[in-house]
Amino acid sequence: MTPSSGPNGHPRTQAAEIQSPSTSSMSGAQERSGSFSFIFAWELHERLLWFSNLRWLAVAGLALASLLGPMVGMEATRPSLMVVAGLVATYNLVFVYALRYRYGPEEDYGNLRTVAILQMVTDLAALLVTVHFTGGCASPVLPFVVFHMAIGTIMIETRIMYFLAFSTCFAAAGLFACEHLGVLERYSSVTGVQSSLASCGLSTAMLVGLVFGIVYLTDSVTSRFKTRNIELHQTTTELRRALDEREELERRKSHYMRISAHQLRSPLGTIKTSIQVLLDGYLDPGSDEGLRLLGGTARRVDSLLDIVNDLLELAKMREGRARAPWARNVSINQILADIFDAADPIAREADVELIPHFIHEGAAILDWAVPPDLVYAFENVIHNAIKYSKSEGGTVTVALGIDRTHAMVVVADEGIGIPADLQDDVFLEFVRAPNAKHAEAEGTGLGLSIVREAVQMHGGKVSLESAEGLGTTVTVVLPLHYVPPEIIGG
Amino acid sequence: MKRPTILVADDDAVFVASVGSILRSRYEVRTATNGSEALASVEEDPPDLVILDVMMDHMSEGFDVARSLRLSDVTSLIPIIILTGVDRVYNLRMEVDESWVPADHYMEKPVESAELLRVVGGLVGPGAPEGS
Repeated sequence: MTPSSGPNGHPRTQAAEIQSPSTSSMSGAQERSGSFSFIFAWELHERLLWFSNLRWLAVAGLALASLLGPMVGMEATRPSLMVVAGLVATYNLVFVYALRYRYGPEEDYGNLRTVAILQMVTDLAALLVTVHFTGGCASPVLPFVVFHMAIGTIMIETRIMYFLAFSTCFAAAGLFACEHLGVLERYSSVTGVQSSLASCGLSTAMLVGLVFGIVYLTDSVTSRFKTRNIELHQTTTELRRALDEREELERRKSHYMRISAHQLRSPLGTIKTSIQVLLDGYLDPGSDEGLRLLGGTARRVDSLLDIVNDLLELAKMREGRARAPWARNVSINQILADIFDAADPIAREADVELIPHFIHEGAAILDWAVPPDLVYAFENVIHNAIKYSKSEGGTVTVALGIDRTHAMVVVADEGIGIPADLQDDVFLEFVRAPNAKHAEAEGTGLGLSIVREAVQMHGGKVSLESAEGLGTTVTVVLPLHYVPPEIIGG
Repeated sequence: MKRPTILVADDDAVFVASVGSILRSRYEVRTATNGSEALASVEEDPPDLVILDVMMDHMSEGFDVARSLRLSDVTSLIPIIILTGVDRVYNLRMEVDESWVPADHYMEKPVESAELLRVVGGLVGPGAPEGS
């Protein structure tokens, strides 16, 4: 919502409803959020209740006027004003009931605004009826129309109030015209005087001027506060959102640290217990069993080092390796060819056939890349495909597709696959499927996280499709012309 | 005198070997590398005590095995020790389906051999040296 320029240069509020996000992190009055226009719904609710209480005074005033009116020459006031007082009391009871039991402070702003408009309309109608019975355009009650307009402009949007002002003036002019044309009976005002057509025309003109004037003036005075209220609300909403994001980030960081600590503690616990067993003499370090335990312990130390190295790699990428040794015009074909040469013996040993589908493709040249990170990413994906192939072998196909803007590398295996419920999570840190653990005991659970980080660092995306027992296809899409903003900016 | 039998379930073979070495000094030891192996072993021949890791094939596998044992009439009286690297606060944060973890004792890795024998002894008796 943008405040536009209003009368005498003040920004005018063109209020539209804003749904305020609920939050648990704010305290005090700010917890009372809910829907908002230029004020909160609960503020409008409070004002409407105050207005309803004020209406009891009007009821008392009408009742008193009905009793005292004839004494000052207003012959029609009794019992007419008593009936109007009864009507006002009745609809006020309905409004009070509605505000207390149906439309509470938590109600949507739009519904409360409807209640406010209904109150204004019924009040103005009651007021015009009272004006009719107390002397028409000479009625002493007529100024209360202006009072209502001022209160209404404070409570609801100005555009609605201008509409109500127009309707009221139109209805009042119609009433006075009907009285002078004899369609409606004319009642005398105080002192029993009936106004002339000329004075009534003047009163009507003054009423129109005053009604529109008071809406204009009240809006001029209050629009600055309304605008500030809106700006304050927008700022509060943005701050609240930023706070929520910050809390979420902290929570994720804390979770990641805890998971990392656990992953380090687990092998450390095993290593400590193994050494203790040997120190306490439960096993002879020189015995076969003791040597087996020592060998296992050494492997746990290796896995601990792997985790630490992978964590460091991940941290380096997340800290922004764009400043790391990057290069221009990096060939994906060359990177894949180098990985292929190194992976071929590993594949042969695992009885897996490596099939390249990129030799005769065109050259996929990246404008910018960090070659070691790209090598790590593709190496990891290809080695995973070999590692998690079934024991009876199979094929691993590495295909490269190129168009004008992107390169796509697809690595497909016929291996053990990933269970459906874990396919969305395998790019998260330390997530390893049970079948992967069975197939390959060693693994940090960080490889695919690093792959994702490396690909994202190059402006690309990585995804996978898998069927347990049938195989996995990992797809990496890289934009050819991506250069990080910090490199462009120098 | 018959030595009590203890089933140790943990997916870390080196840790199982270490704990097994400590316990064999006074008890008979059987091992399992995941929850389903542990349940099968208990069904085949109920041990006197079960020691469970928490995170094996999946995040709360040890807790699930403990609940299964408690809910079965045959195995509900077998004492259970949860022996894991997962600390208590973390357990709660993992939002395990149910907070009910029916273990008789909770120990964290790494474990001191004397402490392990003291806790196990409290649940199934002191056992006896091999061959006695």
